[in-house]
Amino acid sequence: MAARRALKAVLVDLSGTLHVEDSAVPGAQEALKRLRSAPVTIRFVTNTTKECKRDLLERLTKLGFDIAENEIFTSLTAARNLLEQKQVRPLLLVDDKALPDFTGIATEDPNAVVVGLAPEHFHYEMMNKAFRLILDGAPLIAIHKARYFKKKNGLALGPGPFVTGLEYATDTKATVVGKPEKTFFLEALRGTSCAPEEAVMIGDDCRDDVGGAQNAGMHGILVRTGKYRPGDEDKINPAPYLTCESFPAQREDASLGCSPFQIIQGCCKQLSWQSFSTGIRNSFHN
Amino acid sequence: MGTPLPGGPRGGLRRGQDGGAKMAAQDGGAKMAAWARGVRGLLLDISGVLYDSGGSGGGVPIAGSAEAVRKIKASGLKLRFCTNETQATREKFVKKLQGLGFDISVAEVTAPAPAACRLLKERGLRPHLLVHDDLVPEFAEIDKTNPNCVVVGDAAENFSYANVNEAFRVLIGLEKPVLISLGRGRYYKETDGLKLDVGAYMKALEYACDVEAEVVGKPAKAFFESALAEMGVPPREAIMIGDDIVSDVGGAQQCGMRAVQVRTGKYRAFGHHRASPTPPGWLLNAVIRPAEDPTRNELLIQLIPNRPCDENHPQVKPDAYVNNLAEAVDVILSQL
Repeated sequence: MAARRALKAVLVDLSGTLHVEDSAVPGAQEALKRLRSAPVTIRFVTNTTKECKRDLLERLTKLGFDIAENEIFTSLTAARNLLEQKQVRPLLLVDDKALPDFTGIATEDPNAVVVGLAPEHFHYEMMNKAFRLILDGAPLIAIHKARYFKKKNGLALGPGPFVTGLEYATDTKATVVGKPEKTFFLEALRGTSCAPEEAVMIGDDCRDDVGGAQNAGMHGILVRTGKYRPGDEDKINPAPYLTCESFPAQREDASLGCSPFQIIQGCCKQLSWQSFSTGIRNSFHN
Repeated sequence: MGTPLPGGPRGGLRRGQDGGAKMAAQDGGAKMAAWARGVRGLLLDISGVLYDSGGSGGGVPIAGSAEAVRKIKASGLKLRFCTNETQATREKFVKKLQGLGFDISVAEVTAPAPAACRLLKERGLRPHLLVHDDLVPEFAEIDKTNPNCVVVGDAAENFSYANVNEAFRVLIGLEKPVLISLGRGRYYKETDGLKLDVGAYMKALEYACDVEAEVVGKPAKAFFESALAEMGVPPREAIMIGDDIVSDVGGAQQCGMRAVQVRTGKYRAFGHHRASPTPPGWLLNAVIRPAEDPTRNELLIQLIPNRPCDENHPQVKPDAYVNNLAEAVDVILSQL
C-alpha cells in the first residue's frame, strides 16, 4: 500500500463469513474474541430485508458470538438512515419482521417508498399506491434488487422485479441502499471517525462484499466459506486485497493463506499498511 | 411559438415551452390544418380519448367525444379504433362503449389479443396466460397445455404476487423463455386514479428472467400496420389520435403516420420552463387553493421534481397537441 495509514475499522459480513445458516463457522467465535483485543472498531454488515437487528443479534448470540446491537449495520439500517437524512415519511413495503428497525419513523401521509422483500405487499393495490406516490415525486428506495430467491418449493420473485416495474412506470431510478452500493459501506463507517482507506471488509461474496468495499476505497478480504466458489477471486478487478481460507483460519494453515484476524492484528501493531504487507509475507515464510 | 422542434423535422405545433394551453390550442389548430388536408383515415385510441375507464359504470365519456365520433363517420373519413385494451374481450368492451353512447362496432376495433392469437398459432406457442379473467375467452381456441411461453396483459387485480410468480416460474423453467406482452404501457387513468399498466409487469418479468418481451399491440409497428391495412389507408394519409405520448404518438410516428396528442386521459401537464430559475431536477408548481370567498383564494408555490412529461418529452414530439378529441376532429374536418 502506498499510503501509510493505520487500520481503524473492520467490517465483517455475517452470513457465510461468521456463520452458515444455523451453524457458526468453526472457531469464528474465538477469532472474533481475539480480534476484539486489537484497537479497531468492528461493524457487522449484512444485506437483509427480513430480519431486524434484534433478530440478527439473537441468532448470533445463540451461536456464541459476542456482539452488540449497535455494531450491526444492515441494509435496513441504511434505508432508515436515508429516510432520516431526507426527512421523508415512507410507505414501507417490507416484511413485518423488519419493521422494528423503522420504529419511530413517521409513516402517516407517506411521501417516500421503501421496497424490501415483502411478497405479501406486492399485490396490485399496494403496487398502485406506491406507483402514485412515486409519480408524485416520492423517492423510491430499494433495500436491494435481487431477482429471485430459492424457497423450499422452488424459486420465488425477489424485490428487484417489482422495483424495476415501478422504475419503468414512473420513469425514475430507485436508490439502492444495500451492498454493494458505495454509500452502504460509507454509511457503515459513520460515527467511527475512520476513513474508507483505514477500513477493511471481510466477506464471502466477492462482488457484493469485497468488490463493493474496494469500490468505496476500503481493503477487501475474501474468505473461502459460505457462498464462495473456486475462482470467485478472479471475478472482480481490482482483485481482492487478500483471499483467506476462513475468518478464523490459523497460522498453521498458512499454506492456504492466512487468517484475516492475524493480518488485522499484525496490521494494528505495525500501524501501517505498508509494513503490513511485509507482515503477511513473513507469516507465509514462518 | 411553433418554432421547429429540436431533433425532429416535423413542424407541428407544440404548446411551447413558454406558452399557455389556450393559446397553444389555437396555434395547434392552425398548424395542424396545413397537413391535415390530405387525410383519409383516422385511428383513435379509446381509453383516455373516448372515455376514462373505471368506477361502477365502467367509465365516464370524455365531453364531446361521442359527438366527435359521429362527426367523423358522417364526414366519410375512414375510421378505426386502435386500442391496447386487454381487460375484456372486444365484444364486452364494445358493448360497454355503446352503453356510454358511442357509435362503435367490434369490426372497427384493432386490439392486441386477436393479434397475439395469430402470432401464437403461427409459431406453435402454447401460452401460460397472465391476463384479466375477462380476456381469457379471446384465447379459447389456443392450446394452453404444457406452456412454452407466457402472455402478459393488463391483468389488474390478477397481478397478485402468486400470479406474477407463477408466470415467472414458467418462464425461468423454459430453455428459451418467450415472453409476449400485450402492449407496454406504463399506466392509465381510471376514474379513481392512475393505475399500473401491463408494461410495469412486463419489465418485472424481463428483469427477473433476463429476457426481452415481444410486444403485441401499440407501439409495435406491425400492430399499427394491421390497423391501417384493415382501414385500407396508407400511413401518410392517416392520423393517430391518442393520450399516450409513447405508445400512441411515438408508435404511430414510427409507422410513418402523423400523430396528435390529446390533453385528456393519462396526459400529464407537468412542464419545465427552459429559463426556470429552479435548481436542476426541480420545477416550480403553482396551485390555487380555493377559498369560499374567491377573493381569499391562496396561491401555493412549491418545488416539485421534474421528470420527462407529456408536454416536453425527450424522445417523442407529437405533430400536434389538442385539448381533446372534439377539438382535433373539428380542426381536421374543417380542412376537408
